Amino acid sequence: MTIDRWIEFAKGPLFAVTFMVMVLGLGRQVLLQFYFLGVKKGRRLRNVHWKQVARETSSWVVPVRHMEPGTGLFSVASYLMHVGVLLVPLFLVDHIALWNAFLGLHLPAIGEGTADALTLLTISCAILLLVMRLLRSRHRLVSRPADYLLLMAVLLPFLSGYLASHPSVNPCPWNVMMLTHLLSAELLFVLMPFTKLAHVVLFFFDRISVVHWQLRPGAGDRVAEALYRKEVGAR
Amino acid sequence: MTDRTRGLKDLLWALALAGLVATVLRLWFGLGPTTNLSDAAPWGLWKILNMVAGVAISTSGFTMGFLVYVLRLERFRPLMKPAILVAFLGYGCSCGALLLDIGLPWRFWHPFFMWNPHSFLFEVFWCVTLYFTVTAIELAPSVFEKLKAERVTKALHKVAFWVVIVGISLSSLHHSSLGSLFLVTPQRLYPLWYTPLLPLLFILSAMGGGLMFLVLVRILHAHWYDREAVFGPTPLERELFLLGSVRGDGGSRRRQVGRDMPVLTDVARIATGILAAWLLLQIYHLAHPAVWSTFVAGTWETWLYAAELLITAVVPIALVWRPQFRRSPGALAVAACSASAGLLLNRMDVGIFGYFRSSGVVYFPSLVEWALSLGVIAAAALVFLYFVENMGVFAVSPAEGDGPRPFRVSFDSLSRVWHTALRSGLERTTLIAVLVVPLAGALMYPPYARRRTVDVRAASRLDVAGDSLRIDGDRTGLRTVFSHAGCQKRLGGDSSCVSCHHMSLPGDTTTPCSSCHRHMYTETSIFDHDYHIKAVADSLSLPGPFPSNGSCVYCHAEGEAKTEGNAKACVECHSEWRDEYANGTRDLARAPGYLEAMHGTCLECHQKEAAERNQPLLQQCSTCHRSLTPRGSPEAQLARRR
Repeated sequence: MTIDRWIEFAKGPLFAVTFMVMVLGLGRQVLLQFYFLGVKKGRRLRNVHWKQVARETSSWVVPVRHMEPGTGLFSVASYLMHVGVLLVPLFLVDHIALWNAFLGLHLPAIGEGTADALTLLTISCAILLLVMRLLRSRHRLVSRPADYLLLMAVLLPFLSGYLASHPSVNPCPWNVMMLTHLLSAELLFVLMPFTKLAHVVLFFFDRISVVHWQLRPGAGDRVAEALYRKEVGAR
Repeated sequence: MTDRTRGLKDLLWALALAGLVATVLRLWFGLGPTTNLSDAAPWGLWKILNMVAGVAISTSGFTMGFLVYVLRLERFRPLMKPAILVAFLGYGCSCGALLLDIGLPWRFWHPFFMWNPHSFLFEVFWCVTLYFTVTAIELAPSVFEKLKAERVTKALHKVAFWVVIVGISLSSLHHSSLGSLFLVTPQRLYPLWYTPLLPLLFILSAMGGGLMFLVLVRILHAHWYDREAVFGPTPLERELFLLGSVRGDGGSRRRQVGRDMPVLTDVARIATGILAAWLLLQIYHLAHPAVWSTFVAGTWETWLYAAELLITAVVPIALVWRPQFRRSPGALAVAACSASAGLLLNRMDVGIFGYFRSSGVVYFPSLVEWALSLGVIAAAALVFLYFVENMGVFAVSPAEGDGPRPFRVSFDSLSRVWHTALRSGLERTTLIAVLVVPLAGALMYPPYARRRTVDVRAASRLDVAGDSLRIDGDRTGLRTVFSHAGCQKRLGGDSSCVSCHHMSLPGDTTTPCSSCHRHMYTETSIFDHDYHIKAVADSLSLPGPFPSNGSCVYCHAEGEAKTEGNAKACVECHSEWRDEYANGTRDLARAPGYLEAMHGTCLECHQKEAAERNQPLLQQCSTCHRSLTPRGSPEAQLARRR
């Protein structure tokens, strides 16, 4: 009974609090971006035409043009992971019940088979990204602990959600897995506005900010050089 | 922007935002679910702390006005602006809190047009709103100066004297009226505070305590913004000056304390003079034999009253009396703090501590009340700090050149999301909002905060001789004496149990009603999901290391969200309850409220019998609830017969 009570708590007050932290926190990021771009750097912002913003955004949505030789697998895996990350939390039938209960939203649902496929795709892509980050020296050089931990934090709700909805492969009791799923998703809510996961909303602002960090070919090497001047120099 | 106030401002913002959440909840849900106010405790923290005490502590606006404009004591003029600001904010606080305290806030304007001249509160309302307007007019020159509207400023300065005079008369009217307010209920106010002198005591303590609060505000301001003006140079600075290594104004450096200190000492002396008069009146009141015997009775109220006298008057007077203390900023701050706290305690005593307890009412403010009360005060403090920083309220000594900031190399060690490490006020405040608003909302949201399920207790005291069962689930005294044996006999002896008792916990025989009907009014969920998934797995002998994981599909349909709404109906498995619970699919998962369960068991039968036997009294409330029965009434006679 106690775990069931925790599940009720995680579905009720805790969900409300963490979800509001996420909404307000991301809203804050948007507000600050508008403030800094619009008020503080007004002139530069007005120089950017909306057509340019649209073109930049669309070209970065499918990052084939910006790929560097040798990073193809990384880019594709990252791209595919985002498809599942965006669709499954919003349009899974069980989640729609939650949206309905809290916000009165009636979203269209994706089929269970599609959801399963997307979840598995996301999980495998995330694991692939994690492994590549660990194994390739050039990726390891530009990675901070947060990069690994955040990737795992994103992976966790998908993994636990998949296991909770598939009892045949679930290695532990259902309610334990469900609680893990809820708590890990709520952890993600809280992390989102305060870490680099804020690119959920900041992605669009990167296109209009003139000072944004251009991920040009070879940019990684230069950052690595700035970060670990000695090591790179010695090599 | 000074760094010294940053922590303070963060705290104030957090409190103010929590207050904002509380305001929204109070307006959305109403007073009932959000406060602990009731008909027996009709006023609480908002009215007493924010209104009665808040108005009292901000009297310095009119006392300083009297000193500067009427008595022409020009040396106090530097304290005039802060006094007006304190008055404006104090009255703003009370108006704001009062607006939310009245049941229908949008009708606040009614007393303007619908007059009730017999009410003290009517006078208080008019005086407070008028005086709030007066303080706003008095404050306006500072704002217009900032806006560089010189003609308006000049015009305002011309009428300043008359505005101040109006302010003084309004203040002296309503402070005493607030005292009279508590005299209209002699049966509730504890005798230690009940005296016809109360109006006079109220205005005296407000004048003295208000001036002391102004002293406190000045010292605190100096602590944060302009240390030298009150505290003087630090010993180290004095040493350095003597060594000739620091340039500056030699005269002020050599002094032990700051240049504003003598004025503050004078204000404190005037204030303690007024407080001494208050103390004398209190002693006169105590000298009455009846009051004295109440005082020496040693009750909780005695100690409150004694503490109040001690910190409002005795401690400040003793400290200001001794020259070495009244000339030290620290000791003066202690005296001012003590007098202000004493004033607050006095108003809380009269309005809450000495008002409710002795008349048998328990009142403790709810979280919403605390948050709103403190939030309004915090918001006022923020406005105060804004005015201080931007409107030149205090004459600040010229800032010593900080010089350009040293250039420091910084590296974006956190992610870019943190921007410039929260340097600007906007970033700090929005971050506080993101954290405080959801947390405060969830803590105070009435459906979460008030979910007390285990309110109800089982019926008690089976009186064997009369065979009556006393039923009073929430122990409010609305007791029902239920003649169990009589009903049992009437319904057909031993075989009649099932006509009232429906089900018990598995393996139990005498489950009390309250173990499922746990709440007095709302239904309780009694469905044990964990137990059911195990039971299904056991009965079907499902395979796997955790057999219960496979049990979902036996109740929940595939391809749909697994919610309570689309699960299998209880009676599909529990066929033994099919006849009784055929109405709804999930009746078995929820126990109705205790009240509904009890009434549902008895009332139906009573109503039927009342119609059949033509005895309408049978279905009256007072037939069972004898505490509702007037003595000698036909219901009482019927009840006695049974």
